[in-house]
Formats: sequence, structure tokens, C-alpha cells
Amino acid sequence: MLIFDELKKNDPQLRLVAMVLAAGLFILLAGLWWVQIVSAREYESHLETQSYRTVRIPAVRGKILDRNGRVLAENQPEYNLGLYLDDLRKQFDAAYGQALARVRAVQAQRIAAQEKKLGHSLTKVERRQFALTPEEREQLREQARFQVASEVVRQVSERLGQPLALNEATFDRHYDTRRALPYPLLVNLNPTQIARFEELYSGTLGVNLDLQAVRVYPFGTTAGHLLGYLQRDDSSEQGEDASFSYRLPDYRGAVGIEGGFDAQLRGRAGAEAVLVNNMGYRQSTAILTPSEPGHNVVLTLDMDLEQAAVQSLVQRRGADARAAVVVMDVRTGDLLAMVSSPVINPDYAANDPQYLSDPKLRPQINRATQENYAPGSIFKPVVALAALEAGLDPNATVNNPGYVYVGRRHIADLAPPGEYNLRRAIIHSSNTYFITIGMRAGIENVIRMGEKFHFGERTGIPTRQETAGIFPTLEQVQGTGWRDGDSANICFGQGEMAVTPLQMAVAYAAIANGGKVLWPRLVERIGSQDPASSEAPTVFPSGVVRDELGVPPRDLKILRDDMLAETEDPEGTGHAAVVPGLRICGKTGTAQVMNEHNQEIDRTTWFASFAPYENPRYVVVVMVESGTYGGPTCAPIAHDIYEEILKKANPGTPRTLARTN
Amino acid sequence: MPATLLNQEHHERFDRLQLAALVGLMIIGTLFVYSATMANPAMAALPWYDQSWLRQIVWYALGIGAGAALCLLDYHILARWSFVVYWATIIFLFAVLIPHIGSMRFGARRWIDLGPFQFQPSEFAKLAFILALAHFLSRPADELRLPGNFWKGIGLLLLPFALTLKEPDLGSALVMLPTGLVMMFVAGTPKSYLLKLVGAVGLLAALFLVDVLFVPPGWWQISMEPYQRDRLLVYFGRDYTDFAAPNATPADLQRLRQQQLDDEYNVRQALISVGSGGLMGKGWRQGTQNALGYLPRAVAHNDFIFSVFAEEEGFVGSMLVLALYALVLFTGLRIAGQARDRLGRLVAVGVVTLIFSHVFINIGMNIRIMPVTGVPLPLLSYGGSSVLGSLIAVGLMQNVHIHRKGY
Repeated sequence: MLIFDELKKNDPQLRLVAMVLAAGLFILLAGLWWVQIVSAREYESHLETQSYRTVRIPAVRGKILDRNGRVLAENQPEYNLGLYLDDLRKQFDAAYGQALARVRAVQAQRIAAQEKKLGHSLTKVERRQFALTPEEREQLREQARFQVASEVVRQVSERLGQPLALNEATFDRHYDTRRALPYPLLVNLNPTQIARFEELYSGTLGVNLDLQAVRVYPFGTTAGHLLGYLQRDDSSEQGEDASFSYRLPDYRGAVGIEGGFDAQLRGRAGAEAVLVNNMGYRQSTAILTPSEPGHNVVLTLDMDLEQAAVQSLVQRRGADARAAVVVMDVRTGDLLAMVSSPVINPDYAANDPQYLSDPKLRPQINRATQENYAPGSIFKPVVALAALEAGLDPNATVNNPGYVYVGRRHIADLAPPGEYNLRRAIIHSSNTYFITIGMRAGIENVIRMGEKFHFGERTGIPTRQETAGIFPTLEQVQGTGWRDGDSANICFGQGEMAVTPLQMAVAYAAIANGGKVLWPRLVERIGSQDPASSEAPTVFPSGVVRDELGVPPRDLKILRDDMLAETEDPEGTGHAAVVPGLRICGKTGTAQVMNEHNQEIDRTTWFASFAPYENPRYVVVVMVESGTYGGPTCAPIAHDIYEEILKKANPGTPRTLARTN
Repeated sequence: MPATLLNQEHHERFDRLQLAALVGLMIIGTLFVYSATMANPAMAALPWYDQSWLRQIVWYALGIGAGAALCLLDYHILARWSFVVYWATIIFLFAVLIPHIGSMRFGARRWIDLGPFQFQPSEFAKLAFILALAHFLSRPADELRLPGNFWKGIGLLLLPFALTLKEPDLGSALVMLPTGLVMMFVAGTPKSYLLKLVGAVGLLAALFLVDVLFVPPGWWQISMEPYQRDRLLVYFGRDYTDFAAPNATPADLQRLRQQQLDDEYNVRQALISVGSGGLMGKGWRQGTQNALGYLPRAVAHNDFIFSVFAEEEGFVGSMLVLALYALVLFTGLRIAGQARDRLGRLVAVGVVTLIFSHVFINIGMNIRIMPVTGVPLPLLSYGGSSVLGSLIAVGLMQNVHIHRKGY
């Protein structure tokens, strides 16, 4: 005990503190004595038998299927060749023993030489200089291990007919840090290699095949935007165990369906316990928590239509076309095809990085949902509805002198001069007529009608690739900054507004189905991967109504008739879409893309349509950037898609779908 | 003769015995931070100037510099500024709670990020608190009988205590309690007050433990970070599954059991490290627990450095470390006894209690007589703020010694 003069002095407080301190230190000492002396044996034995390492095992990712059960994304086994260190342990030891014996023999010779020189046998102290240091032993062990492993690799390489090299540094690092896991020798073996290996080499000498799932997309780049892609991410999810010794490769969806439904597709990673001995070698493995496989996601897409749309785009506009196609069921809101061009490969690594970052092509964006476009004339039916609501007589005519003045602004009209009623105005897409009736009805009414269609709002598809578009609000148009020229622009789908092809599909579906603005549906259901599972799939309801237009059926009928004339009248701008046996209602559009000096720098061309006229079922919206006009550029693509629709309806003879149900 | 060496009146400027013990601890600290980190291939692969052991030496040098600089000024001058420093650290403790200033690590907001390094205001708050409380309590003993002054002292203690608890840094907050109590006791606060205080603290602690350990979820529970609650449950050997939500699925229960295994894992590994060291230890850098990564690598070189040390140096080494700390502590008490005035005495007692609390809690959690709370072992654990704080604290003590009676 340390006793000080001060404590002998009359200083009761410090004395008490000193006693408490001494007692505390004594408790620690006693505790250490108990742990390190009394229980030491027990803990040493713990050291030998204890210890497991946990390995995070990713779950099998769910498939993505189309509405007919065709697989868009699934997993395929990849075979890797792994070197199992625990199986080689005896050989490691043997090689080390031999190496040690060799070194000892050399040392013995040197001792003998030394003894001869000195003329007497060496004393214990003198012998010590010939003993091996722990570092030298460790080095010998390392060399022995590498030698054994290299020999195994050489044999495997010979029999597989594939040169394999073992890197000493990586091998040592693997041995130090991941001893309980197999050392990866060769990844992604081809079938020949697998066959050779299985035949010649199976089960011997600590080499074995490991399975690893890799994601494959059988349709290649088709629907690539919708599918999204995966990113390497081994980390634990929320609520999952965070402390794994090792993690096997795992992936997380970034965008698209892979991203939006990542939680469902991914499942829950499991844990494997690897019991290791004090040398860190694997002794046995046990499943600690099994992984729960992810769920399958079934889309509403119809891959026939999707492929037809892609094919038509490529044939007519080339692979570099910047374009989008949306095909939707007007009754249910089911998205049957959604194409964005240029394509992206969902196997992200297969994309050329230079192509991905091309500033003009911008293949990363989904043009069907992720980009703002001026709708141009395909917005005119919305203006017409607003005007009909405000009391427009569809037969009353407006004179078109070939231009129109709004204030002092001159707006050209490409339609030939003359008298226009609604039908003629739609067929020829007369700007004068729609500006006149739109301004007469009042911009507020046009905006109110647009709001019922939910322009300027997201449609809520789950791909994380959506822009809301732009649409002026009532306050905006009533505000001081709003001019008549701005109102006129809206009347022919230009100026302060922008839409996505998907928004236009939803709008035209509403005109087609009698006024129901639907929530588009991309995912039909999510269910277990196991067909025998009793788990009920989550079914997403179809035909969910977001809003009702609330316009009389008569007005919609007028519009439909006029839009039918747009394609069927030989003078109609959308005549190129016509498919014999299917009556198509449509509207072309050509919107100018302006720079800041109000000069035209590009065009967005459109064809928005639905069919059959008698009982509308499909809406097809085609958008092509830098086209000539909606009629010649986009209508033919819609034509191809309608042909495919017809072909699917009547597999035998490609004739009339009209008047079905 | 050690006895005469210890008992003679000292005439040299510094307390050399204490300094020698500190140097011994710093040497051990460097050696075992080296041992703990070099076993980790990722850390060993760093360039030499990024190695933890070298950084630790740099921190020692900086700490010695700071401690020596403090000795240049009479501690009375320091005490006069103590409230400025105290409030400054309180501001820092507030600042660290603000998301954009304090940076999160391991789920706690304890660090202020200064670019190349982060500092932990709570380490310095402990020192500022000792100085301020010593300054406050150094008034005549009669004044301490006034209840108002008693409560002011309690306030001085509770403010940094509550803020550090909020970070949450349970360990740093806990060591303030005994430090404050002992200082009040040594200052001569009436026993009746102290007894009531100890009783109140004890009662609160008991209620707190009962709440954490026995109250099922859904009832009124003190809000704590989950990991803190888990550590207490581990320490008291309670089953996690007893605290599952009433509608927990078997999978949830399974997960809880796994979680418990994981949490117990660290403590068990530390215990196996210490225990398997035996009498003589396995030798420097020969410990397998640490080398094979059983001791979690994130904490082996800081909070659990003692496990690394005890495994490699055995009971003999443990006794050596305890002896070195004992030397620091008791020379500290001697400094307190020889101090010129109450202020010096209180500063020295405060520092001694602070160091003792750290040592007791840290070594205690390594051998499982204390629950795991993130308390570093002074001068041995890796960490800039902790090393700086410890050396500045020792500097204060030496300052009191330099300006002691008759000098």
C-alpha cells in the first residue's frame, strides 16, 4: 500500500478518497486475478473451440414477368471454381514439415561444420544462434502454403486446359482475412469447363464448384428502361443484422422495376454460420437464418406489343431515334407497351459508358415518362372539350386567313385558308380555329379542363423515372404576368406547358373510355416465386379512377368522330396510321422546340390515338424527337403497332378486330 | 527504498514519480496500439505516416505540449478563466447535437468535424467542468452550507452531464458523476447534503435499471438508444426476447436472439482475450483473439485495448498497468494533500477521480464487472481527444504541484 505523510495527517476527506481508490483498484486486481489466473484454463479452451463467422447469404432475387408469363428478368447460375483452404490444411502442414526438415538439415550441417572448426560440440548457448526465429517459421509456413496451393492450381489448370495463375499477395491476403471462405480461382466457367472439371476432378483436392446467381434479361435491351438495373451492394438492409464477418456479393436495384420494387424482389438475406477453429479454418457450416427468396413481379406489359413497337421504331427511325411509345388499355389503365429509344441494357455493365453519357442521345432517361415535351396539336382535343363545355357549336365556322393575330403577335397557320368547323379544324390541325375557340371559351376553362386530366402531375408509376410535366395553374393565368399570347400558346399545346407521352396516353384514354382519367398500372401483381406457395399474391387493382372529366357523353362522341375522320379522311394528317379492319381515332402533333431567342431549334412530333372507334380498347401514343411532322413521322409507327394488335386478336387471318365485345 | 522515496517531501519542480508512471503508460499505449492495429491487414496496409500508432505518438506529443503549456500559468489564473472555458465547452456540447455541425459515427453525435480530424467536445467538457467546479467550491467552507450554493454546484454538474448524455455518450456522462461528488465531498459540503444526493442518485439509478430491465415494451420506458439498452441487457444477462413487441413473429424472435448473440459476442470475446492471457500472456503481437479478428476490429485499439494488452502480457502485465495507474492516482492525491489552497486541492482531487473512473469502468467492462459503455482507458486507448484530454488533465495536476505550499 502506498501511504503518504499527507494521509497520516489529519485529512479525513483525502484519506477516505484514497481508501475508495485503493478499494477500486483492488476490485479490479481481484477481477483480473479471477479471470486470468483462476479461470484462465477455461478461457483457453474457449479459445480453441469457440468462434463462428457469419456469412451473409443474399436471397434469390424474384423474377420479372410480363402479363403472359414471359420472363423479362431472372437469375441464372454462374459457376465459380473455389479453392477450399480447410481441405488443404493437412497438406499445408505436411509441406511446412518438409520445409522445416530441410532447413533443419541445413542447420545441422552448419552446426556440424562449426563443431568441426571449433573442435568441440556446441554448448546450448552456441546452438541457439542456429535456431529459427518465429518470423522465419511464419515465413516458411507461408511459403509452404503457397507452394501447395500453386501445385493444386497447376493441376487444375492443366486438366481444364486453361492457364490459371495464383497471385501470392492476394492468396496471402485471402488466407489472412477470409480463411473460412473458399479462395476464388476462376469465375464464370463455361459449360465445357464445367463438364471437364466434373469429369476429371470432382471432389478431390480441395477444389470445388460454387454456385452464384447472376441476373439475366432474356429480352436484352427491350423494355430496358422499365426494368432498370442493379448495382453491387453487399450492405445490410434496415432491420437486418449488420455484423457479418463476410458478405457474399449482393445487388440492389437502382431504378425502374428493379429499383422501385427492390424491397419485394430482393427478399431477405440469410446468415450462415461457419464454425472455425483457433487457426481460423472452417470446421463446419450451419444455416443460422435461411434467406427468404424475393417475390416475382408480374407486369402488365405485353412483350409482343413491346417488341413490335421497338421493331417499328428501329425500322422506321433507326436505333438512334430519340422517341417513345406508350400503349395502354383504355379500360383498365394497364400499360401494354412502354418504349423509350435509344435503348439501355438492363445489364448495366454491358452498356458502353461513352454511349450512356452521350449528351444528345441520353439513353439513360426514359423518354416515355421522364422528359418534358410540348404536346403541340395533340393537346387540341382538350381545348376542344373545354370549348364544347363552354357552349361551342361544333358546326359553327371560324375563318382562317392563314394566320392569326393575338394582340400584335402574328401566329402562322399551316392549314389552308378557309372556313373551319371543329371537324375540319381537327383534320387540318388549324391553329387559328383552336386559338379562337380557346380564347372565346376563356383560358380559365381550358386550364380547369387540363387540371381534370391531371396535367402537370405525376401519374405515379413505380419506376422512379417520372417527371410531373408543366401545366399552368388558375392563379398563374389570372395573375399579372400572364398575357394573351401565353393563353394562345396553350390553345395549340405550346408555351408554358409540357407533358410526358404517358400523360398523353392517360388523357386520350379518358377521351376514349367516356371520361375516366385512370391511374396507369404497370405492375399487375407481386407473388411468391414458389408456385406451390400458399401465400396470396398482392394484386394491384386495375382501372382505378383518378378523376372523372364530368363532360356530357355527347361532347366526347363529337371528339371521337372528328378524330376518326383525322385518320380516315384522305386529307387527314394522321391518314398514315390506318389499318384495314381497325377504325382508329387519332390526332397528330408537331411542337416546336424554341431556344431562348424564340427560334425553332428542334421539333417534337406526335401521334396520339385510340382504337377501335366502336368500342375503344387501346390507346397508342408515339413521340419522336426531331421528326418532320406528326403525320409522316409518327403515324406509321402507330400503324405498325395497330397491325400487331390486330394480328394478336385474330391469329389466323389478319382481319377485322372491329366490333369485338 | 520506495517507501522513503514516496514519503519524502518533494523539492523538485515536477512530480517526477508521476511523470515516470505516465511515460510508462504512454510507451505501453504505443506498443499495444501498434499490436492491435497491425494485426488488421487493412490497417497494416496503410502507409507508415497514416498508421494509428504513429498518430498516437503525435497525439502524445501534442498532449505533452499542451499539458506543459498549461503548467506555465499559475492554476489560479486558469481558474479565473474557468467559467469562460466551461461555457465555451457547453456551447460546443450544444453544437455537437446540431446535425450539420456534429458528425455521426456509430450512431452517436459526439464529434465535431474539423476537416483532417474530428474532436470530441465531451472529452474537454470533463476538464472544464473540473476546473469550474473546483473554482466554485473553493469558496470558504461555511458558504457551502448554504443550500443555494449546493444547488448551484449540482447545476454545474448536471448541465454538461445532461448534454453529454444526449449525444449519447453514456460513458463520458457517467464519469462526471463520481468526479463531481468526490469534489463536493472533499470541498467540505455538509454530509447531510451529500448523503441525500447519493441517495437520490442511487434511487434514480435503481429506478432507471428497473425500468430498462424489467418493464416490457409498450409500457412507459425511458428513451434510450437501442444499443445502450442492449448493452445493459447483456450485462445483466436478460433475454432480448422478453422485450419483443407483443405481436412479434417467430422470425422476429429469431432475429432478436441472433442480435443478442452478436451483442454478447463482443463482451465474450473480450473476456476470452483477457482470460486466455493467463499468468504470463502470449507475448507482444502474439495474441490470436485480436489477430484473427474475434475482437471487433473497430474497438480493439480503443475501447478494448486492455483486452489486447491482457491477452498478450497476461496477469503480470495487468498488474503492471494497474500499478502504473495506482502511481498516477496516489501521487495525484499527494499533490492534492500538498496543494497550496483549496482550489489546488480540488483540482487535483477532481483529476484523480476522473482518471480513476475511466480506469475502473474501462478495465471493468473488459472483465465484465461493468457494462459496456464507450469509456476510453486514459493514455492507452487510441484516440486524439482522449489522449489530449488525459494529458491536459495531468498537466493541471502538475500545475497544482508546481505551485504548491512553500513554492
